[in-house]
Amino acid sequence: MRLKVNGKERSVDGSWQDETLLDVLREQFGLIGTRYSCGIGQCGACTVHVDGEPVNSCLLPVGLAEDKKILTIEGLQAADGSLHPLQNAWIEAAAPQCGFCQSGQIMRALSLLQNNSEPSDSDIDEAMDGNLCRCGSYPRIKQAIRSAAESMQGSPS
Amino acid sequence: MKGVSRRKFLIGTGWVAAGATVIYHIAQRATAVAPTFIFPDEQSGLAWIQLAPDGRCRFYFPRMDMGQNANTGLMQIIAEELNLEPEAIEGIVANTSEVPPFAVTAGSMSLTAFSRPVAVAAASLRELLRARAANQWAIPVRSVLDHPGGFRADPGFEVSYKALISREARPLTLESPNEAAHLYTFDQSREKRHVGHPAKPLFLREMVTGQPLYAADVRLDSMLYGRAVRPPVNNAEIESVSLGDLRSVPGFVQIVREENFIGVVCKTPRAVERAISMITVKWALKQPITSEEIARLVDVDDALSKGSLEHQLLSNNPDREADWAVDLRFDVQIQSHAAQEPRAAIARFNDKEASHRLEIWTGTQDPFAMRRFASMHTGLNEDDIVIYPHRMGGGFGGREHYEVEQDAVRFAAAVRQPVKVQWARQDEFKAARNRPASTHRIRLGVDAEGDLKDWWHAYISGHVVLARDRLPGWLLPVSRLRDDFGVTKGGKPVYVSERSLVEYSDVDLPVDLGVWRSLNGAPAIFAIESAMDELAITLGVDSVDYRIAQMQDAQPRLKRCLERVREMSAATPLPQGLSVGRGFASGIYDGRCFVAVSADVLIDRENESIKVLRMCCAQDVGMAVNPDQLAAQIESNMAWSVGMALLEELEVGEDDILSSNFDNYSIARMSDMPVVESAIIDQPTIPPAGAGEVALIAGPGAIANAIRRATGFRALKLPIAYSDVIQQDSRDD
Repeated sequence: MRLKVNGKERSVDGSWQDETLLDVLREQFGLIGTRYSCGIGQCGACTVHVDGEPVNSCLLPVGLAEDKKILTIEGLQAADGSLHPLQNAWIEAAAPQCGFCQSGQIMRALSLLQNNSEPSDSDIDEAMDGNLCRCGSYPRIKQAIRSAAESMQGSPS
Repeated sequence: MKGVSRRKFLIGTGWVAAGATVIYHIAQRATAVAPTFIFPDEQSGLAWIQLAPDGRCRFYFPRMDMGQNANTGLMQIIAEELNLEPEAIEGIVANTSEVPPFAVTAGSMSLTAFSRPVAVAAASLRELLRARAANQWAIPVRSVLDHPGGFRADPGFEVSYKALISREARPLTLESPNEAAHLYTFDQSREKRHVGHPAKPLFLREMVTGQPLYAADVRLDSMLYGRAVRPPVNNAEIESVSLGDLRSVPGFVQIVREENFIGVVCKTPRAVERAISMITVKWALKQPITSEEIARLVDVDDALSKGSLEHQLLSNNPDREADWAVDLRFDVQIQSHAAQEPRAAIARFNDKEASHRLEIWTGTQDPFAMRRFASMHTGLNEDDIVIYPHRMGGGFGGREHYEVEQDAVRFAAAVRQPVKVQWARQDEFKAARNRPASTHRIRLGVDAEGDLKDWWHAYISGHVVLARDRLPGWLLPVSRLRDDFGVTKGGKPVYVSERSLVEYSDVDLPVDLGVWRSLNGAPAIFAIESAMDELAITLGVDSVDYRIAQMQDAQPRLKRCLERVREMSAATPLPQGLSVGRGFASGIYDGRCFVAVSADVLIDRENESIKVLRMCCAQDVGMAVNPDQLAAQIESNMAWSVGMALLEELEVGEDDILSSNFDNYSIARMSDMPVVESAIIDQPTIPPAGAGEVALIAGPGAIANAIRRATGFRALKLPIAYSDVIQQDSRDD
């Protein structure tokens, strides 16, 4: 079984083909930026993009991601290592506290901005409500999304 | 402490060959079982800071990070003392073989207890090198002036730390701090360059790019996966086990059974999941787990009907028969930590390497307790065990027990291969040492002028720091004769009464209990501030004015917070024509942290919900080392205030913990989050106090008081449900 992760073809070991996408990403491929938190699609910590759509990778059997384009937090940086505007905005806002949920938050925010380049506060609430942050970093996440939206205006995302 | 030599740590940290290192001998050894209480003294910081030959500074973190980012503040202090830019300081999460033991990271003590030792160490190192520069230039030490990354002197001399150190063939060691070293952090004579300025948290880039930071991110060669069946409470015993056909699970490796422990090791996480689902355990409980039983155990009125409570915090000529202006009972729920990261640990045994017989990777508030517990568990010497502590995805007081680590050690010992244990979310809820339920009876009496005359606060809470299995069984009964300092938090009022009685009992509850953000601070102060608000309403006076007046001549810092938060909230008027209210609450955490909060709340009839629109918080925790991170902690505490006031409650019943995940234990989401405005009242002459759990003491009371103003409904029970508010809405109906 082969997956296309962050632009690279990767093959899934035979003994891992019944696993979730999350466990294959983390444990087999070492892409540990996507994190396990609830296991039932209730918190968003494991959000990745599959064919451009945000999904909870803790729920997705890896077989259903076969031949699809998967984007994880590790794939967000440009080839030259420069950060995505969302990542820069996150740093500028000092959004993370413990940091554990933030990969999922950023991946969800990316999906929001890809569909809506000028989200209102309520658009942000609606899009981000499935991504929990026990530390309560929400005000800074919101601020980071607003400022990333501004800096991404006119630039390809 | 036996076996801790300077040389060992020099080797461990790789600085034998070159560099200036300051180290000291530790003299204290923590007790066998309790969390590691080695509070740092003036010498302690010497073990954590080194200057390398290239002029870079290495800082071995003495605190475990879980989102409070205390090490960022400590690093600012090093930068201040050594005249370095923060970029020149390398922060290192040390393993337990690299640094002498340090205290459990808990109690918002990090800056309070660690700022001075860190400043002393950095300043001692600076002065050591200043003397060397003076010697080199043959001028008096006082003529050697500070300069970024080194020193200068007239006319035109300049030298870097690097140049001063690299000439040494052997590392410099400092056995004791330089008591004469001037501490720029705590002195007003020099304008501060780092302390008091906003600094970005450490590891931000790693956090937003998905770099390995947490224990579960570690992968080892030949690693297997394990998980145990967790009991509903820690003291449950296995009564019976029924097993499915585990061998039919592809990837199944081994079942591991010990006394009151059963788990599986498999080749993949999904195989673990499948195998675990085939094991059914019947647990024998010491107490039934029902909400009725818990309510009975903490029923303050029932206990008062039988006489006095167990402990008295204040007893000043009390009058139990006074004429009470307010007489209310408040019930506070059980809450779970529900940190975003479910615990994970990896254990590996090495038969060949003596100093690394057992290695454990884990996220913990107390790495040296983990080493101690692992030693007791396995019989290995502590010196043969290495703990690699990792950043935690939230702690909040819940990450100090040797549990997921013990699971991993059991599995790794059984299969002689490295094993990763990743707790499922439901394991987290079962194993959590929860914030206990409590009930509070508050009776307030006033004189003819409306001033407080009689204060009677009686409460019953589950144990906190003296909860079972936080101390060995033989030690508990004796310890419990004295105050549980977790249960007493927040108990003493800031208001002055002619006569006062504060009494409490602490009890065992059927669920596991322990340390949770602010301990009993938030429950007690929610009750007190609700009662004071009700008294102000009864008297027809402004509640902020009334609070300030009833502090009499005391509490200037708290009064300032209240005044400030009143101004901040007044800047945004409440929306007109809606069911909205503004409430206030304030309090002191641990005698050293002062906070006042306002909340604007909307009763949203269209969506049938209670919406907190805006919260203002003014906080004085002494010197504001990093104002931006103080604000971040306020924001976090406001999210938790919304959770405690409106959302969270651990559900129990049917002899089990029923809350198992975020679908049946609600925490604040983005749409629940109010606008938060914070004001940090800086006190540069007062050493910093912690801020991680301060504002939570006032937030829930402010929300409850705002609901009272919006609707007339006085919340007597948390969490507050919309349906309760509407049923008793005396103003609108």
